[in-house]
Amino acid sequence: MANRYLFACVVAVITAGTVLYMIGQMELNLAKSEILSGYTLLGLIVFLGAFNLRKKLSMLPLLKASTWLVFHVVGGLLCIFLFWVHTASVWPEGNYEIALSIIFYLVFFTGIGGFFIQKSNAIKLTETGIEVIYERIPAELSEIRERSEAIALECTETTSSDTVANHYIATLVWYFKRPRFYWPTLLGRGNAKTWLRNNQASVRRYLNEEETGYFNQLVELAELKQLIDEHYTLQDINKKWLLVHLPLSVGLLIISFWHLLLVEVFAI
Amino acid sequence: MAKISTKQSTLTRPQRWDSPFDPDMTKADVKKLLAIEEIAAIQADRFPARISLEGILQNDTRIVAFKKGELVVREGDYGNSAFLILKGSLRIVLSPSLPGAILGRAKEYKRGFFNAVSQLWTSNWLPETRDSDRYGPTKAGAPKNAASTRIILQDVPAILDKHSTATVDQGALFGELAALGRIPRTATVLADEDSELLEIRWQGLRELRAYDEGWRRMIDERYRQTALIAHLNEVPEFNHLNEEEIQLVADQCLFETYGSFDWHTSFKKLQNRSEADEPVIARQGDYPDGLLMVRAGFARETVRHGTGKRTVTYLGAGDNFGIFELYNAWVNPKDSNLALGTTLTSVGYVDVIRVPASVLAEFVFPNMDAPVNMAEQYVGKSQSNDTLMQWAVDERFINGRQTMVMDLNKCVRCDDCVSACAAAHDGNPRFRRHGKTIDHWLVANACMHCADPVCMIGCPTGAIHRSLSGGTVIINDDTCIGCGTCANSCPYQNISLVQISDAKGNGLVDDQTHRPIMKATKCDLCSDQIGGPACVRACAHDALQRVDFQEFTI
Repeated sequence: MANRYLFACVVAVITAGTVLYMIGQMELNLAKSEILSGYTLLGLIVFLGAFNLRKKLSMLPLLKASTWLVFHVVGGLLCIFLFWVHTASVWPEGNYEIALSIIFYLVFFTGIGGFFIQKSNAIKLTETGIEVIYERIPAELSEIRERSEAIALECTETTSSDTVANHYIATLVWYFKRPRFYWPTLLGRGNAKTWLRNNQASVRRYLNEEETGYFNQLVELAELKQLIDEHYTLQDINKKWLLVHLPLSVGLLIISFWHLLLVEVFAI
Repeated sequence: MAKISTKQSTLTRPQRWDSPFDPDMTKADVKKLLAIEEIAAIQADRFPARISLEGILQNDTRIVAFKKGELVVREGDYGNSAFLILKGSLRIVLSPSLPGAILGRAKEYKRGFFNAVSQLWTSNWLPETRDSDRYGPTKAGAPKNAASTRIILQDVPAILDKHSTATVDQGALFGELAALGRIPRTATVLADEDSELLEIRWQGLRELRAYDEGWRRMIDERYRQTALIAHLNEVPEFNHLNEEEIQLVADQCLFETYGSFDWHTSFKKLQNRSEADEPVIARQGDYPDGLLMVRAGFARETVRHGTGKRTVTYLGAGDNFGIFELYNAWVNPKDSNLALGTTLTSVGYVDVIRVPASVLAEFVFPNMDAPVNMAEQYVGKSQSNDTLMQWAVDERFINGRQTMVMDLNKCVRCDDCVSACAAAHDGNPRFRRHGKTIDHWLVANACMHCADPVCMIGCPTGAIHRSLSGGTVIINDDTCIGCGTCANSCPYQNISLVQISDAKGNGLVDDQTHRPIMKATKCDLCSDQIGGPACVRACAHDALQRVDFQEFTI
């Protein structure tokens, strides 16, 4: 992978150098260099968009998707450089140009952000020590909820004490109902673990040995659920960033072609 | 999103012999076969009514005529049948092997470019749909398998001049090693004259072996004999010997089997056992009496460590055990430290050839350099280096040749691999991104295309088979009767049974019992796709790879 990044970087530098040289030559001849930088930029944007098409054509030997990703990332970086060359500024003037720039920057930053979020979340997910398929999470949570309810009921029936059941109804029902602590998990904070620890300590002192046995089973399920919640949050963001990046990219393509159309029409 | 229909359509449940080996086999052919000496000796009353001898002959065999010079089997091909010579004689090419160019290997079906692209719009979005018209008993005169392309060698005398060959005559059985052992053919066989052969597909051969004592003895004996000579010819230590010397060596070798040939029945139980329960082949500290050569299956090498045993490596087909100690004993007979440095145990089933030390001293040691002490190298490694290998042996992943391994530190759980698999299989993914994990590695529930595919053992119709070249394990959907034997036999839960539907998504049910019609499905390594496995190419993060566990390192 590192070799491919190196190769893509070399290709990008050569492309950038060639474009800069040709722009210099065109300006010396008093030609419109924006045409060259603009068409190069558009071509690159279309190439970046083709990565999604490649995913749909997985049955064809169109190089490995990992190779496409390398060129997609490096191509994205080259794109921002060419954008600055094309507009001759970081923030252009004119309402249409500003709208185009906003979408361009949003696509760029969601792309770069998503890339690093995915890389980092992959390791965080592995560190949970469990593997859950995202689509299976509701079913897994439902199973945990059923098991925890059964434990609370059995505890009440066998010990004739409702301490665990009351705690379950008052506190754990909320916890087991659906994925919790989404944003703290996303921000890397340990709120879920702290919440579990505190709620355990608050009730444990009132339990006898038999109830403690049942309570420990509940705690075990709660800890498992916390790991599944972590999977839910991290996998959810891994999928959702693309739901931002992709529509924005389509928008950028449309608005770029409109920009091209306007330029070509007014050039006549 | 496509709606899944809750309606049902009926279909006659597929039966074992719906697709006979040769739909043109007649009762008269069967009668003729029953008169042949080798078949007449079979006690037909030992066969159960549902798998009668006549039924086997009618449905699991075919009579094939070969012209002089025509190839019968090719070395390296995966075969699912054995042959009994009814008339004529054949020639087996022993060494050197015939070049691939003149063997004219049959090409396997691959989609063309446009056919591959057309999957985008021709794939049915409803799950597991099939064209139900193509099921049902095959009629006589139906087109036969196009893969069995016939090749006639033009210059047979030249081949006989350049290659060492052996002749087999009427009444001889051959090909059973590849058919039952699920291994490639070990030699090329061609017709020496116009000949007639009875080809028996492997499930028929299995029944003959199971219900007739004479055939069982003959097949087992031939299996041992053929396996030994073929193996000795392949081993570098012996390949300088001539035919006569090889026979001398073979006569003195001991052929040992640990575990059962049909080991799938006990495999799942064996999975939960530790190395302490595995049968010992050679023990650390004992003096070696011969070189142990693994012919098939797997063996585990361990050393005593603390209060337990540490797995240092495992041996597969072609690996040897004990050569260092034996060589040392030959060079320094008075050395006091000649005992084995490790223990060798059987993992499931293993075929071992024991070559006595005296044979090595006469034929091997004078011509070889001093071997490396592998045991010393293995023990010198840190225990953490052994983790993956120890785990792979315990979980029997060592059997995998195309195991789907994912690096979870790279996998972003995007499921692009699953989508790609579905796109290449009419909208139905053929693996689950789920499985056993160790450290940051996940072995997904995808067919591993095993060295020894135990899933093939019980299949009544032979629907699950190895492809002729490459050895990919694939299921013929047309002949699968959905009995689930393969899914139960697979120790890795990599085969799924699915209910099939017609093109409108109506679930197909049996017209008599109204129970669903099932089919076994699994990864076929995208064998008909031009780009190979779609899952590997679809992974944008290089997290997914198909690996041979024997070569896989962290």
